[in-house]
Amino acid sequence: MFLRLVADSFGRRPRRKLLTGAALALGMAVVTAAFSVSLDVGDRLAHEFRALGANLLITPQADSLPLEIGGVDYRPVNSGAYLPEQDLGKIKTIFWRNNIVGFAPVMEVPAEVLTDVSTASSQAPPIKTTLVGTWAHHSVALPDGRNYSTGMDQTNSWWHVDGRWFHDDAPEAIVGKSFATHTNIKPGDTLHINSADRSTALTVTGILSAAGPEDDALVAPLQIVQQLANKPGQYRRLYVSALTKPEDDFARRNPTTMNPADLERWSCSPYASSIAYQIKQVLPGVDAHVIRRVAEGEGNILTRVRTLLWLASFAALLAAALAVGASSAAAVIERRSEIGLMKAIGAGSGTIGFLLAAEQLLLAFVGGGVGYALGIILARILGEKIFGVAPEPSILVFIVILGLAACVTLLGSAIPLHRASRYEPAPILRGE
Amino acid sequence: MPDRKMFWRIVRRLFAAQRGRLLVILLALGASAALTAALLNLQVDARDRLTKEFRVFGSNIIVAPRDAKSSVAGVATLDESIVAKVRQSLPPRASADSYLYLVASVSSANSSEAVNAVIAGERTEGINRSSWRSAIVTPRDNKNLCLVGVKAAEQLHLQPTDRLTLKNDKREETCLSEIDDPHGDAQDSQIVVNLDAAQRLASLPGKVSLIQLSVAGTPREIRNYIAALAQNIPAADVHGLRQFTEAEAKIYTRVSGLLTATTMLVLTLTGLCVMAAMSNVAMERKNDVGLMKAIGGATRRVLRLFLAEAALLGLAGGIVGAAAGLLLSIWLGKTVFGVTARPRLIVYPVSVALTILVAIVSSYPLRRLANISPASVFRGEA
Repeated sequence: MFLRLVADSFGRRPRRKLLTGAALALGMAVVTAAFSVSLDVGDRLAHEFRALGANLLITPQADSLPLEIGGVDYRPVNSGAYLPEQDLGKIKTIFWRNNIVGFAPVMEVPAEVLTDVSTASSQAPPIKTTLVGTWAHHSVALPDGRNYSTGMDQTNSWWHVDGRWFHDDAPEAIVGKSFATHTNIKPGDTLHINSADRSTALTVTGILSAAGPEDDALVAPLQIVQQLANKPGQYRRLYVSALTKPEDDFARRNPTTMNPADLERWSCSPYASSIAYQIKQVLPGVDAHVIRRVAEGEGNILTRVRTLLWLASFAALLAAALAVGASSAAAVIERRSEIGLMKAIGAGSGTIGFLLAAEQLLLAFVGGGVGYALGIILARILGEKIFGVAPEPSILVFIVILGLAACVTLLGSAIPLHRASRYEPAPILRGE
Repeated sequence: MPDRKMFWRIVRRLFAAQRGRLLVILLALGASAALTAALLNLQVDARDRLTKEFRVFGSNIIVAPRDAKSSVAGVATLDESIVAKVRQSLPPRASADSYLYLVASVSSANSSEAVNAVIAGERTEGINRSSWRSAIVTPRDNKNLCLVGVKAAEQLHLQPTDRLTLKNDKREETCLSEIDDPHGDAQDSQIVVNLDAAQRLASLPGKVSLIQLSVAGTPREIRNYIAALAQNIPAADVHGLRQFTEAEAKIYTRVSGLLTATTMLVLTLTGLCVMAAMSNVAMERKNDVGLMKAIGGATRRVLRLFLAEAALLGLAGGIVGAAAGLLLSIWLGKTVFGVTARPRLIVYPVSVALTILVAIVSSYPLRRLANISPASVFRGEA
């Protein structure tokens, strides 16, 4: 009988129920979309922030003081320590290996450059510059036998190459923009490079615009610079770009003074400092620094944006609750005469309350479900429009949405229901 | 005009007759106006705040010598007259640091041998210190202080407040050392001194190696500023620090798109919510409409009555709600950005107008009342 009454109520006024259900679905759709996007935004923005480039810098531990100005080390080749290139695959074996999105080793040598034109006329003196050796797009052999492809095009995404990058195993180079302008070097030219007592010839494949000191330098494959410097298989600095979690007070604590439980929690959070610590453990003899300027700025902004979006989500929730509550309240008020009739033929207040609540709950689950589906579509559209990647639908959001829908409809109809239970049937049936 | 007097009298009566129900609508309208105002204000403010927040990355524009032909640092320099020009063109909330770099041999009382290190002479123009660094005493403020990077301090076996001797050729400067926080970049191996001291040491009076500017603004504003500055100072090379300007532009578009989308969604939802509440009430006015028609009220006049009522409700709800919303957003801004959000005055009239609009549009179902025949209402049919 109970079920029949509920079914009857839906069958008798499909339009009214549809309206309430639509309000519910719409409200829940907006909340679903806002929640899905907020849950996802941290990851998405963390990826966007990798456009800032490396946030970790690896240097030899026993090193002389670098004479580094604007990103270029001006020390002579023979001073200072170097690190072995063959160890680099180990970086992808740390606990947070999947958070490492790229790395690139760097080594500089001072060099003298002769172009084809100047050798022909043999009058122009060789031009002094810095030759930067690095990986453009290098395939690193990992200890587990796989290959990992990384290089400057990942760590320094703001470097634009007009032409193409050099191949890492070919005698090629790219030339900084301003160096190219006042030496008249064009892609396709051959450069003769002298460094100390060694020399080599490189083909120019592109013009680099880096908006940094590299604009005045030459960039060539690491392997070639190693040969020129007579330091085979070695590098001076390593830039690592990693996805990290914004640092908090806990992240800044010194791992050597932590108790084992804290240390485990610390290393199991992808803080920039814990990733640096893990890299230090797999690469012997290195110092790993967090580049504070990048890491801290990133953390600050990420936290702010995330709070802002959660706020907006709660505003959406509030608005949805208002809409749903109002429409379910209206639905109950409209049924006064029905309630009066039921009371007159002997139904108790409890039974009527139970019946109406069951109806509302049914509506909430159907409306919530439809709203969730709509919201996921909405979130996909938003995600693809803004980040180019749709957020993953999450079960958590689904459960939260159903719970919210039930809560809001019940709360919205609670006050009218309470009043309905006190109705005297006689005046209602008389039409007063 | 008795006609008009009567009109307002009926409107007054309409309000008085259904106080309880009207209060509910007023509450809904007020709440939606508050939400609208708070979100709009927060949205406008957040974009602005975000551009300032980006300045934690430090400088984003570099003014460098145009012909840096040589790779040896510190040879190509700019004249300080360019610094003066940059200072004049500096927008509010921006700062410029001029640097002179040189390599000098450094020794302290504790270290027997001298170490070669990069010396950076620094001077700041503009009021706001926009660097992400904590407020520590810097060589700018104290001519006798030098800020030693952690790596350099380690090499020199330096204790805080040790006396350092910097030597270049035959020139010599001494200063009290202060050890800097770790930065993780080249600054860790540099020693920052007062610009004048660096100029004396390098014997390059009135010269700087480069100027770093930190300018807040939207990506477009920064592009325009760079273009204007480059035109103003043809002698130097002005460019954005692309590592930061590009990433900032990307993140700014994403975040502001996200904010706009969420705000629009919430506003649509609030509008619909108010409409639902209003139309429910409108349908309950059947009896009133029937009565008015029966005693000879023209449909248009009756409708005008109800529209006036809705507009007045919207106005009242909007004025109170939007004010509450602005207060709310000030407090919210404090929780998100740590700084109270500045209330934008434009938001207030906009949200009041939006509320009135929503209130009037929600009375749309009243049109259906026009078709009501008075007789059927009195008979108790609908």
